[in-house]
Amino acid sequence: MKSRGIIASACFVLSAGGVFADRPGFNDKAAPETIEDFREIQEALQKGLERARAATVCLQMGGGSGSAVIISEDGLVLTAAHVTSKVGAEITVVMEDGRKLKGKALGLNSETDSAMLQITDDGPFPFAKVDLDDTTKLGDWVYSLGHSGGFDKERGINVRVGRLVRSAETTIQSDCVLIGGDSGGPLFNMAGELIGIHSRVGASREESMHVPLREFQRHWEDLKKGEFIGEGGFAEKPVPGSGFLGVITEEAKEGGLKVTEIWEGGPAEKAGLKVDDRIIEVDGKKATQEALEDRLGKISKGDQINLKWVRGEETTEKAITLESRP
Amino acid sequence: MKLPVLAFALTFVLSAAAQTLPSEKRKNGPMIQEALSPVQIALQESSAAFYNNETSSPFLYGTVVSEDGLVLTKASELELVKDFHVRVGTKKYRTPQVVATDEIWDVSLVKIEAEGLKPVEMGKPTQFTHGTWVVSNGSTERRFRRPRPGIISANRREIPVPGGVVLGVELKEEKGTIIIGKVTEKSGAEKAGVKPKDALLTLDEKTIKKRAEILKIFKDKKPGDSVRIKLKRGDDELTLDVELMSREKLYGRRPTRNDQLSGGDLQQSERRTGFPMVIQHETMLTRNEVGGPVFTLDREFVGMNIAAVNRVEAFAIPSEELPDIVESLKKSAQ
Repeated sequence: MKSRGIIASACFVLSAGGVFADRPGFNDKAAPETIEDFREIQEALQKGLERARAATVCLQMGGGSGSAVIISEDGLVLTAAHVTSKVGAEITVVMEDGRKLKGKALGLNSETDSAMLQITDDGPFPFAKVDLDDTTKLGDWVYSLGHSGGFDKERGINVRVGRLVRSAETTIQSDCVLIGGDSGGPLFNMAGELIGIHSRVGASREESMHVPLREFQRHWEDLKKGEFIGEGGFAEKPVPGSGFLGVITEEAKEGGLKVTEIWEGGPAEKAGLKVDDRIIEVDGKKATQEALEDRLGKISKGDQINLKWVRGEETTEKAITLESRP
Repeated sequence: MKLPVLAFALTFVLSAAAQTLPSEKRKNGPMIQEALSPVQIALQESSAAFYNNETSSPFLYGTVVSEDGLVLTKASELELVKDFHVRVGTKKYRTPQVVATDEIWDVSLVKIEAEGLKPVEMGKPTQFTHGTWVVSNGSTERRFRRPRPGIISANRREIPVPGGVVLGVELKEEKGTIIIGKVTEKSGAEKAGVKPKDALLTLDEKTIKKRAEILKIFKDKKPGDSVRIKLKRGDDELTLDVELMSREKLYGRRPTRNDQLSGGDLQQSERRTGFPMVIQHETMLTRNEVGGPVFTLDREFVGMNIAAVNRVEAFAIPSEELPDIVESLKKSAQ
């Protein structure tokens, strides 16, 4: 899997160039002048749409959903940081036809809202073309895709058209209208190439902000490696030791850890743990006071800890998600 | 369906160093409108603008469907205004009459005293693919209808009523029996005479032991359909026919975050679900801008706008559905 990924990115570099030949004439007019100009925009959009749709996916995790786009045959996906929200998060990837795939969040940039994800099921997958040379200019016609409001099989993907209306280094703005659930979805130019990822909206309907592809390229390797970049507001940086389990334990004579107190409404109680239960394993290792404390010191709120415990004859094993300290 | 909780950060402002495209060149700007003037002709001829007589402001559009002044519009929006007049082209019609209303499609047929109008050509099968430009009524002046562009943006489909249908009662499962709890006021159940503590024995001839069995039967039902239920009350058994109602209509709709993001009741059509078939486009419409016709770049009639759903979705009744709707409205008027 890994080596195929490297080959794929090498291909990106090699296939760059020659994209200017695709630049359609309507982009160089102040605005369409005739019905024929509109028709050319329509034809260009429709020519690339099938491939663009095939690569656009819905991301589902917990109670929420966002959008994203596959950019390599082996399932590398670009999306927004506020969608994956966590490096390593397990996320379900849904294709337009409803096919569900497993995915794992890679790195993210909490300052500019870029993020990567890897589909962990086996490919090949449909993938979008990418505007690697940053050829798209202010005023160019663009279109946005996304699973607006969440996955809806009957409706399918929503497509919207507009122009690139503002451009800054780490944010581009279009007048393609966006709504909740579009976050992380792709913005394409009229050559059918990915130029940005939906991030947020402004005060009016016609202000849609996207992370430009150049911002992904700037941190490409770190994102791929699974780095948490920056200290911005689009994702919360994990703080080791910040997670709360909600139990007090002591070493049990027969081995393991006896639960002596439990926090009402805390994660442990919600998972079904009770006073006098004996925890025998912490993340697959023999449960000792030291092992539990060591583990809790390394992970953060929102992370999971796997506990196995005994009550009478019954053994239970559960992954418990840590919360913030009350 | 799980609702998306991922929110956008609102009112984000780009830095001053950004390059900006002037607003007149943008998708909904005047230069684009100007370039659409060949399509504007069709809106000028075959759309109607409805004006509130009290405020003198336009509140709805209509689609001209006959030479002698029949205009189709959105029923639930029209009902909100008592006193109105209509404009087609540059002419004003002071005494429009509502002829008939179709509740399924939420359309009303209105008659104005006109002759020689240019109706839309309804009935042609429409198979417009995603990305096809469509043009609707944008804003209007007294004598001039402005065009507003958009594209076909999703699959054509039926729009079911979310939440489905309900009897209007609370149901409790007790030892393999379904017992009626609270009966909601004005519900089909109350009208039929269902009482708290009744035991539900059968529904449409099927024995009911679990709530899930009811939901299975309700899956294929629509508001207005009836079900036959057998109840046990004390020692008596009784059979009643209960009219099913839309959950949304009986219990109200909880606005989602996306509704709030779409301007809520001010911008969104109140009736935006429960259509047998729609074409979806992304033209930016508000609840006061539906009812009018939708045309392609070639002035081909696509359908009639029936709902401003949210900030990214608008629904139109497909052209081929309209002849039957108009015919049955004419019949019910006689």
